[in-house]
Amino acid sequence: MIETTIITWIIAIFGAITFLPLFGAQLVMILKPRSQKAKDLIIGKGENWRDKTHFKSALAFAWADIIIILPLYILGTVWVFNGQPWGYIIWISLGVLSIYFSILYWILEKEYTYKSAGWIAYFTYFWGFFLYWGLGAIAHSILQLNN
Amino acid sequence: MYSLLDWEGAVKIGLQNESFNGDAAEQAIADVEKGIAIADILWAFPITVVAFIGLLREKFIGFIAAMMVFAICVYFPLIYTFRVSMNFDIVLAAIIMWAIPSILGIFGLWMNRKLFNIN
Repeated sequence: MIETTIITWIIAIFGAITFLPLFGAQLVMILKPRSQKAKDLIIGKGENWRDKTHFKSALAFAWADIIIILPLYILGTVWVFNGQPWGYIIWISLGVLSIYFSILYWILEKEYTYKSAGWIAYFTYFWGFFLYWGLGAIAHSILQLNN
Repeated sequence: MYSLLDWEGAVKIGLQNESFNGDAAEQAIADVEKGIAIADILWAFPITVVAFIGLLREKFIGFIAAMMVFAICVYFPLIYTFRVSMNFDIVLAAIIMWAIPSILGIFGLWMNRKLFNIN
């Protein structure tokens, strides 16, 4: 059993703030992939898919997020609060993927999303939160597992 | 690393499939693949080095780093699976070469976690 701390709570709440809007946007992408709402949420307000490949890639990421990342986030958080080491391993896995995609989207999408979202939104909920959550979750999980 | 230094050279020898000299669709995929290559070099590669050294020395950080690498190696074949335009052979190869060994790796590491001082 690993005791939770105030930092565990902060990371869990910050994770919910970070991931729930993403899951919402990805659900719109899956349910109404061709809608303007999906484009506004995924690439930025008023932006358009660059081509069919861009659209298909976004749809693939949407399915992967809903089928894999969402259950992992829920499972990891539940196990963390049950004091199970596996919960922290899942948080580390999600953290590493979150950082990986932060790098990927910095390269791929910054020129589109940064422009349409503005720097405050970009460095917070549009992109930055995923990087910060990944770093925080990894650091906290390593400390918890190592104690 | 070689792809980033000479993308078209990497396409010629089969390391990459999509060229920046192709049609619009091919260029778009090449763009995504280049982004993945950069993320691999900046993030996945250093973690892999730490994992190798850490596992060989039976260090806790090796266990954590290996789990991180396995997470990436399980997730990416799934992205390929969901991407409907992806060639089935590549999807199958990614599942066999990355996802399945990584799932086994996660299981094997967890069974041996006591070596790394995890209860």
